[in-house]
Amino acid sequence: MALTWPEKPTLIGTRITRLDGLAKASGKAKYPSDMLPEGTLFAVMLYSPHAHAKIKKLDISTAQSMPGVKGVVAIAQEGATLRYHGDDIAAVAAVTEEQARDAVRAIKIEYEVLPHVVTEAQAMAPGAPEIVKGGNVRKGRSQDNGKTGEAFAKAEVVVEGKYSLPVITHVCLEPHGLTAKWETADKLTVWSSTQAVQVVAQELADSFQIPVANITVLTEVMGGGFGSKFGADVWGRTAAELAKSTGKPVKLFLDRVQEHLAAGNRPSAAGTIKLGATKDGKLVGLIADTHGTGGSRGGSNFPLPYVYDVPASSRVHSEVFVNGGGARAMRAPGHPQGCALMEAAMDDLAEKLGVDPIEFRLKNLKPDDFHTPIYEAEVKIGADLIGWREKRKPRGQNGDGPIRRGFGLALHQWGGGGTLDKKVSCTISADGTVELKSATQDIGTAARTVLAIIAAEVLGLKPTDVISNIGNSTFPPGQASGGSTTTPSMAPPCLDAATKARDALFAKIAPALGATPADLSLQGGKLLIQGKPSISWKEACRKLGTASVSEIGSAVEGLASTGVGGCQFAEVTVDVETGVVRVKKIVAVQDSGLIIDRLTWDSQVYGGVIMGLNYGLFEERIMDPGTGVMLNPDMELYKLAGASDIPEIVIHAYEPDEQKARGVIGIGEPPTIATAAAIGNAVSNAIGVRVTEWPMTPRNVLNALAAASKEGKA
Amino acid sequence: MRKHDPKNGDEPGGPSRRDFLRGSGLAAASAVLTGTAATALDEAKAAEEGPKVLSGEVEITLKINGEDRKTTVEPRSTLLDTLRNRLDVTGPKRVCDRASCGACTVIADGDPVYSCTTLAVTCEGKKIETLEGFETGEHGVPHAFHQNDALMCGYCTPGFVTACKALLDKNPNPTLDEVRRGLDGNICRCGTYVGVLQAALDAAKAMKGA
Repeated sequence: MALTWPEKPTLIGTRITRLDGLAKASGKAKYPSDMLPEGTLFAVMLYSPHAHAKIKKLDISTAQSMPGVKGVVAIAQEGATLRYHGDDIAAVAAVTEEQARDAVRAIKIEYEVLPHVVTEAQAMAPGAPEIVKGGNVRKGRSQDNGKTGEAFAKAEVVVEGKYSLPVITHVCLEPHGLTAKWETADKLTVWSSTQAVQVVAQELADSFQIPVANITVLTEVMGGGFGSKFGADVWGRTAAELAKSTGKPVKLFLDRVQEHLAAGNRPSAAGTIKLGATKDGKLVGLIADTHGTGGSRGGSNFPLPYVYDVPASSRVHSEVFVNGGGARAMRAPGHPQGCALMEAAMDDLAEKLGVDPIEFRLKNLKPDDFHTPIYEAEVKIGADLIGWREKRKPRGQNGDGPIRRGFGLALHQWGGGGTLDKKVSCTISADGTVELKSATQDIGTAARTVLAIIAAEVLGLKPTDVISNIGNSTFPPGQASGGSTTTPSMAPPCLDAATKARDALFAKIAPALGATPADLSLQGGKLLIQGKPSISWKEACRKLGTASVSEIGSAVEGLASTGVGGCQFAEVTVDVETGVVRVKKIVAVQDSGLIIDRLTWDSQVYGGVIMGLNYGLFEERIMDPGTGVMLNPDMELYKLAGASDIPEIVIHAYEPDEQKARGVIGIGEPPTIATAAAIGNAVSNAIGVRVTEWPMTPRNVLNALAAASKEGKA
Repeated sequence: MRKHDPKNGDEPGGPSRRDFLRGSGLAAASAVLTGTAATALDEAKAAEEGPKVLSGEVEITLKINGEDRKTTVEPRSTLLDTLRNRLDVTGPKRVCDRASCGACTVIADGDPVYSCTTLAVTCEGKKIETLEGFETGEHGVPHAFHQNDALMCGYCTPGFVTACKALLDKNPNPTLDEVRRGLDGNICRCGTYVGVLQAALDAAKAMKGA
């Protein structure tokens, strides 16, 4: 019989606390950055103070002779070009961290400072210094669908707007890095803050030319990744190199400044979008000229058109290269940008058409797309929860006082879904221990708990009865924590493993019980024979004697699925005299198939919304055009919401039976996509003019009001 | 664990400075004024004793969670780095390293402080509490965080738990707004605030049952 999710689960879908929650809340959980094997040396990085420079001379000799210093390694060599403020130059390992910092300062470098471009405006300006061969602006291939010329000839209402979002950084609270310890000349153990233990292991194996089986990457818990911690990185390889040369364990974690500069960012997005519709509110076409910067390597593209049914579209995206740290995947890569630009244009067009933004959106969903009925249901729920019909007024009709109230919404979509090549092992021992193993890790989504819930469901136990071992690269292959794929990749093999282990247990103990395996079942910590409770779980396992059963579970078709759609609504107030935006309420309605742990599902959705709120209101990497350095590589001028900034957040899981039947999909990314877009639309609704630049800071709000005032619009 | 109660004057040498201030009628002064007065007293005391210059390696003893811990630091070593790098007290986390995120919060003589910007040498004789010493049963703050899933990656959590404990020690019946203000010195990147606020309110109730 094909494996299926239990029809009437007792644990799956309920609110279950994390297995490692108390350890984290009492400071007992050991993070990779907490690990200090005996004799550990502290390593500190030296990174570029310039946006663009050549290293003329690099002298590490003084640093090498400093007190406590055991190893110095040059990452960049003389003659190398540094491409951004924060680019790696060298690292020092010393007995104390203070000594390592002193030695880093003693590394003598002569730079030839080169002309830089750190903002997109600088990079795109005529006559700008070319920082990459072939020019700073690289026009992409036109993505065309249908004939936009003909489409716009039919358009009765057209809007054209310029919108932009800045580069933001991941700000993982635990910095990137690892502690490396060589057990023997070709055996390495590392404690890495990573969202992909096996990727880190492979990267180190390749770097040191040793078998990956000789590398153990341990990530018991880790302090946030959001897409930026898939690899060992230069600094991780450097730590391992220093550990090798000094013969001591070496701990190297970035400092907060370099964390902002070099550890990844979400690329910017900007563009001119022309959107046309007929008078009855049907979209006819879109023409978009967009650009963004992913630093010196590119990677700023994003989906557009987004969500809606646009019969004809033409879009060109240009990569802008700047002297800035490189882009990395960040929670739903590309989608928050595409969503914000598309939804701003949609809102502006609905305004010009004079129709309700909800009605306009519903009218332009894709026919025959599976998302469409989901959106239709979700938007209705969301509108009710925010009080759209009672409270919302058309744009600009929110009174004459200084404080204006506004409402906005946005729709989003995400893939999620799992891979089919991951494994989980489940071992049942004679003492009743149940142990799961897989080389996945917990980025904060409660992966350990999710697996334990599934095994406990199958075995009639409590999740706390299950030892859920993850975060070890030598365990059976596990999924990297990215793309909201961890749970959909790992839950099916876990169900398979637990089911196989249960069946193996039944086969072994049935004869001793005078029963057949088919007579046996498990429930409430007891073994049942033909439905009647007989002995406890532990007594049942004791019948294994000295043996244990161990099974490997694989992915099974039909237990996981892909593709979700959600919507979010925002209520804001804007002070038009100061430009200060306060978000009062956010409503998030989200589908995600079968929910395993409703408690941690809630946390993920709240967290996604709050990350979106940060994107909408606060976050931006500020580069100084004059000096080329980042002005806010910290946590006070790089603004993030604190407890007093958190509005009322209402979340709603859209989970009718047909959603549950789709299986597990994954929830990390979708709920962060639409928030900034919805906030932007709510601000425009409040003040009557479009704020074209995110975040919705006082400066951007006042600029928009001033520009509109000049044009006589406000 | 021992709870700090300024009324007991349980520090060596009789009533604490805070009690002195209370007794002298300054109790109603704002926190800022109290802080200023305390600084002035510190300076006066330092002037009496004459300048003391510390350099090189300094041996110090810190009272951490009720236990005397001896270690060697440099005068510039922060309390946070001393705890984490020298004493393996890794509950407090290093995140921003400049007093803006709160992940390194510890309680020193009853007050929450950013240990990343507190020098270890200034902490001799003070009672340092880190969350490793907190009650983990159902009357404790960690339990409330666990029950409310007030953590995701959990790296900010030690700071939040500690700030929450310090708040509740001083204000056992906080309103939601007081909780928000009490925790505004802490930042969570995963966005766990909804659970955190509820955990603080739940912990306030639970601690009364202790």
